Amino acid sequence: MTLGSHLTPLARSHIEQADVVFAALSNGVVEMWLERMHPDVRSLQPYYKPGKSRMKTYREWVQVMMTEVRAGKRVCGVFYGHPGIFAWSPHKVIEVARAEGFEAHMEPGISAEDCLYADLGIDPGRFGCQHFEASQLLFYERRIDPAGYLVLWQVALTGDWSLGRLETGPAYRQVLVELLNRDYPLDHELIIYRGATLPIEKPCVRRIALRDLPHVPLTAEETVVLPPATPLKPNSVIRDRLNALDKLYGTSTLA
Amino acid sequence: MPDTIELLEAIGKDASLRHASADELAAALGEAQASEALITAAATGDKEQLAVELGHRQCDPPQVSQGPGHEEEPDQEDGDDTPQRSPAPDRDPSSTKR
Ligand SMILES: C[S@@+](CC[C@H](N)C(=O)[O-])C[C@H]1O[C@@H](n2cnc3c(N)ncnc32)[C@H](O)[C@@H]1O
Repeated sequence: MTLGSHLTPLARSHIEQADVVFAALSNGVVEMWLERMHPDVRSLQPYYKPGKSRMKTYREWVQVMMTEVRAGKRVCGVFYGHPGIFAWSPHKVIEVARAEGFEAHMEPGISAEDCLYADLGIDPGRFGCQHFEASQLLFYERRIDPAGYLVLWQVALTGDWSLGRLETGPAYRQVLVELLNRDYPLDHELIIYRGATLPIEKPCVRRIALRDLPHVPLTAEETVVLPPATPLKPNSVIRDRLNALDKLYGTSTLA
Repeated sequence: MPDTIELLEAIGKDASLRHASADELAAALGEAQASEALITAAATGDKEQLAVELGHRQCDPPQVSQGPGHEEEPDQEDGDDTPQRSPAPDRDPSSTKR
């Protein structure tokens, strides 16, 4: 995620040993850094067009990468953060390449998610943690667990069914707020988080009330975190069953 | 003048610089004879000059978005709206060709 800090030695080696490198990065300076590592870096950025469905763009990315794979080249796709987290094309291109008999694999990277846990001091294991693409939460019936953390991605694009817009407005985020209000009070404090991309930046952390989400400026790079709103509720039925098992088997040895 | 991208990489890699205060970082960059643009960005967070120095290379907002909230509904295109599967080598390749 951060230039100079978060590229693994193995990922760098893949880049250096590739015949051609495709890049989908969130920052032009990072793209310039990548160009220092390889003479043939091709940006995937020009495939985006306002009004064009991003799904179409993602499919085209798969196609351009596969064209080079089919030509016998060693191809490396570089996607910012972790290439497999909230990113469609990297999974798809690996699937397609393998189905056609090519060797392909994904190298993990440091995601916005990883930076978020570190910068906000959150352990997803403490209360559990759900992650949703913000629009998906609106388009489909999902079950939110307010006893755990809720992390919402791509909130700036909330509710864009067309997948062609650069951002949606306050009215769309208001729908999200109303949905969340089923499980969280309107004064519940949420966190708007942006991790550092350049190493001269600091993470940006804003805390606002849920009701204010439609009215604050929000960029595509920001992630929204809702801390738990309710305590963990003991499951007495299951505890009783486990107690009965403990009595049966004892607690000092494995059954 | 040292190269700005190389300096950024050096800061990103260095434990004492990466989490230095803005003033310390600006001082270190001054000593390294970094460009005014980089020193200003480090000291104040204002990246305007840095963008000029680096030729305004920007990635537009949609570039950040690499995942859709939905794929197609069953009655659209190929109806691939089920939860994502792990890449499966044995998957019918015809379903991925367009
Ligand atoms: C399509 S996802 C790609 C995530 C990427 N693959 C990763 O692993 O970080 C885009 C979303 O990631 C999050 N994101 C991207 N850059 C971020 C940053 N610098 N800080 C916090 N969240 C970020 C935002 O929620 C954004 O809408």
